Amino acid sequence: MKNTIRQLFHSPNFVVGFVIFVGMLLAIFLYPIFHPGSPLEMIGVGTFAKPGLYISVYDSVNSETETLRLPDADEKRSGAVLSDEDRVAMIEWFGKAGVDTTNLDASDDAAVLELWKANYDPDKTIKGLTKAKRAYYRRLNEALANNGEAELYVATKDADSGELVEKSEIDKDAYVNTKDVANVKRLVLGTDNFGRDMLKELLAAAKTSLMIGLIAGSIATMIGLILGLISGYVGGIVDDIILFVMNIFTVIPSFVILILISYSLGQSQRGAGVVAMIIGFTSWVWTARSVRSQVISLRNRDHVNLSKLSGHSLLRIIFTDILPYILSYVVMAFILQISSGILAEAQLSMLGLGPKTTEVPTLGLMMSWAQLYSAHMNGSWWAYFPVIFTIALISFSLNLMNTGMDQVFNPALRD
Amino acid sequence: MKKISKSLAVILAAVMIMSLFTGCSKSSSNESSTTPESSTATEESSKEETSTAAEESSQETSEASEASQPTDEGDADVNNLPRNETLYFGGQQWGTVNTWNPIGTNQNNWVISTSQINRTLMMETLYMYDMLTGKMYPLLADGDYSWNDDQTELTVKIKPAAHWSDNTPVTAQDVAATFDIGVKVGNNIGNGYGGYIDSIEAKDDSTVVIHAKKNDDGTPVNPMKVLDFIVACPICQKAWIDTVSERNNGDATAILNDKAEDVVYSGPYHYYYADDQKVILIRDDNYWGQDASMWGSLPVPKYIAHTIFSDNAATEVAFKAGEIDVNQQFLPNIQDLWEKDGLPVSTWLDDVPYGVCLTIPTAWYNMNIPVLAENTALRKAIAIAVDYDTIIANAMTNQSPSFKDVPRSLMNTTDGEQALYDRDAVKDLQWTGNDIEGAKKLLDDAGIVDSDGDGWREWNGEKISLNAVCPNGWSDWQAAIEVVAAAGQKIGIDISTLYPEASVYSTVYSNPDQTDYDIFMNGTTSAAPSCPWARADQFFGEEYVGMQNNFSGNWGQYKNDEANAIVQSIPTMTDEQEIKDAYTKLTEIYLTEVPSFALMYRPAFFYEVNESVWTNYPSADDGRNIPPSDCTDGYGIRALYELELVDGQ
Repeated sequence: MKNTIRQLFHSPNFVVGFVIFVGMLLAIFLYPIFHPGSPLEMIGVGTFAKPGLYISVYDSVNSETETLRLPDADEKRSGAVLSDEDRVAMIEWFGKAGVDTTNLDASDDAAVLELWKANYDPDKTIKGLTKAKRAYYRRLNEALANNGEAELYVATKDADSGELVEKSEIDKDAYVNTKDVANVKRLVLGTDNFGRDMLKELLAAAKTSLMIGLIAGSIATMIGLILGLISGYVGGIVDDIILFVMNIFTVIPSFVILILISYSLGQSQRGAGVVAMIIGFTSWVWTARSVRSQVISLRNRDHVNLSKLSGHSLLRIIFTDILPYILSYVVMAFILQISSGILAEAQLSMLGLGPKTTEVPTLGLMMSWAQLYSAHMNGSWWAYFPVIFTIALISFSLNLMNTGMDQVFNPALRD
Repeated sequence: MKKISKSLAVILAAVMIMSLFTGCSKSSSNESSTTPESSTATEESSKEETSTAAEESSQETSEASEASQPTDEGDADVNNLPRNETLYFGGQQWGTVNTWNPIGTNQNNWVISTSQINRTLMMETLYMYDMLTGKMYPLLADGDYSWNDDQTELTVKIKPAAHWSDNTPVTAQDVAATFDIGVKVGNNIGNGYGGYIDSIEAKDDSTVVIHAKKNDDGTPVNPMKVLDFIVACPICQKAWIDTVSERNNGDATAILNDKAEDVVYSGPYHYYYADDQKVILIRDDNYWGQDASMWGSLPVPKYIAHTIFSDNAATEVAFKAGEIDVNQQFLPNIQDLWEKDGLPVSTWLDDVPYGVCLTIPTAWYNMNIPVLAENTALRKAIAIAVDYDTIIANAMTNQSPSFKDVPRSLMNTTDGEQALYDRDAVKDLQWTGNDIEGAKKLLDDAGIVDSDGDGWREWNGEKISLNAVCPNGWSDWQAAIEVVAAAGQKIGIDISTLYPEASVYSTVYSNPDQTDYDIFMNGTTSAAPSCPWARADQFFGEEYVGMQNNFSGNWGQYKNDEANAIVQSIPTMTDEQEIKDAYTKLTEIYLTEVPSFALMYRPAFFYEVNESVWTNYPSADDGRNIPPSDCTDGYGIRALYELELVDGQ
């Protein structure tokens, strides 16, 4: 046993898979300890906040400041406003509005801006300008008005008169250290459509999905193993019957059965555990099949016959003389079952047939909501890509471990 | 042996690859034949190929679904309509059109469905309703309508210019016949207005007198519903109604299910082509409305087309690509379309909430569930615990005003309705949500506490376990329901979400005895001459309690005799202050008894336009006062006469 494990850790495939897997497990279990709270809490009001560091505006105004004179500060402020596209659009507007542009150097930002300020009037009706374009110019004009030139003040409301009283001017060279600001929140992966912290939700979902995979994999492997052992060893009419059932399950795609069962159960019945069980009960077939064929090849070996002659019971023969020979194979099958269980959950949830939604996040549900709120179309990659990546990573690590084990256990592949 | 198996393997592999190729070629030819729409977008060079493929497909589908070929007036290829003559709609038609029968039921047809309000593309109403101002513009009618003194008789004149597609004039007899057949066969018009209109009399060819149904004391049952009729009932030709009755031997069910492809219409557009992928209407250049007494011109687009997409996502892609001009669809974060993607897309308003919110999606408590029926405190606690700001910001992506801006009442967000109740009188009752502590206190005071320490509250010794339900795939509603469930968790009430298919959902909630759904979502009436009364009636009307196949109102089976009495007395009130007091009292009952609670405001129709081809769509700031009813409904159809092509189209 010890030797086998040592061998396993000499297989690079296994080690890589194992490290990824354990890394994920650590993240899943350690992150909630350092960042407690419900992963389903809707902290953000609004959908799909970008990943990044969020600093409380209120607190930063009240924090101590340092004066830093950065040479490119002004450039960054206004450079963020006037893009090439905007410049082209402005010149187009001049043309449509009949503004004289003969002396205008189009590459001179200041000149373009000056001309714009002198001529733009939001109420001016221009023929052939669509509403969308008009709205665009108005937004552009508003953005230009806030191009970092205006002076900003902090004011408080006088308790008695209700008037605004100037408290201080905001200096352009004033900076606050994020350590001094009371409320700073780093949303590593932003928020989802409900305003939930994606990272926290993702890790909680990965945990649920792993649980679903584990339950589904255990059930599938148990059923497959037991049926395979009985069918292969006992043979005869029992084998025929079990084989018949297996054939039925092979012919009907298991995913279809899975969909039908989930649908007929109804959403209120579908907790994560129930979904895991449904997946388990529909995906045991190929494990049973391969266990059966391995058992058949083992059944007539000398040591088995010897046991039979010694009058050992059926169970004892199966458990002591047959099972140990196929155990390594079963472990590998189990790992693959976990991986396919996780994928099956994701697929089901995408179809709206996954676990009911309020209790726990799962990877499939996260994808499903991201799709419902068209995250894939509005550029909110953080709402679905990390989920896909996590699913891929779990499957990848499990499959790598499996390949590693294969190299160790399979005599044909052993070096 | 080994050699044989090896060569066999090679042969097998070859066969498989070959079959793969044939499979591919087959599937690709299928693709081009089933979606000619997408291929027509490609360049001229492939046109010939596409059109043959398209022809094939139209033949195929006509064989399969009996869709008929285009009528002879238009010469355009239905799969390749001239883009600069066609206005494309989206988000209104799902599935193949099943009928063209305006006096039928189960109309899965966006153009003539009478369950939609007053759409006048093909069949026309007497008046066009302006959902913004409540004004009624004459269409088939000539001038204003007039009531007699006790509001029991409404007289409407018919425009002399109005004529049917067969050139016979529209007469008062047609209006009477439309109502009579409705009552006889029991269609939406008959069922909806039979209780309020006694009979319709054609005084002469051009004078219609509508006799309202009267109570025992001689007062009209509900004059407002009579006004609803004249803006919502599509008028049909008497001669055509007779033809349909005759060919179905007067059998009501047969008449309701008649396909009616020969329907005589009065509107500017009519049926040109329909199959499982699209519906196309063509302009009738003989339309009476080009007469100076009506519009004075024909509507601008020659064709109106609606491609039938499988789902919202497909519609969204098409809309962004400019393949749909006017879209009726909830698009989350609509502002991204112009701010981030720079698309020529705009909405009624440039800023939040982007549209006019006329309907109030509401969570209804099922009074068949004892724990809900008997505990006002529980109903109120859930309602005040829900975080409406999150619903509006996340589920609706701010396409709804918040309950801070428009406090909850029976009214929609228009100024006209808001003025109909006394806001100050009920100010202390209007909650804005997320009041977890208040909700907990309410429950504690009512004795609904967690006595066994499992974190969930019990009532009569049993854990309170509720479900919150809305149809699957309605993303904004689903998200709202999620927020309701989250509120339950916070106050110790176990609420789980449930998303059945829409067809299942509507069968269950319309059954008065159902106990499957505890809290379920449904919209309210949006805008009609009878609003806000019709909406109040939906909240309190006891006539709906126990009604089978109830799609009309009071789905929670709530009974409150006081409220019901007020609702029933409003229609005949004339004094403005009296009406205001009545609505204020109703609002007070609504907010204290909480038979249901509003989750958000929502447009009756979403209205987004893509100005890639057409422009000059109605918008809030253009001063034209054309309502944003998707260029098709009520007075909104005015937009079709003012559309312009974008430069270069």
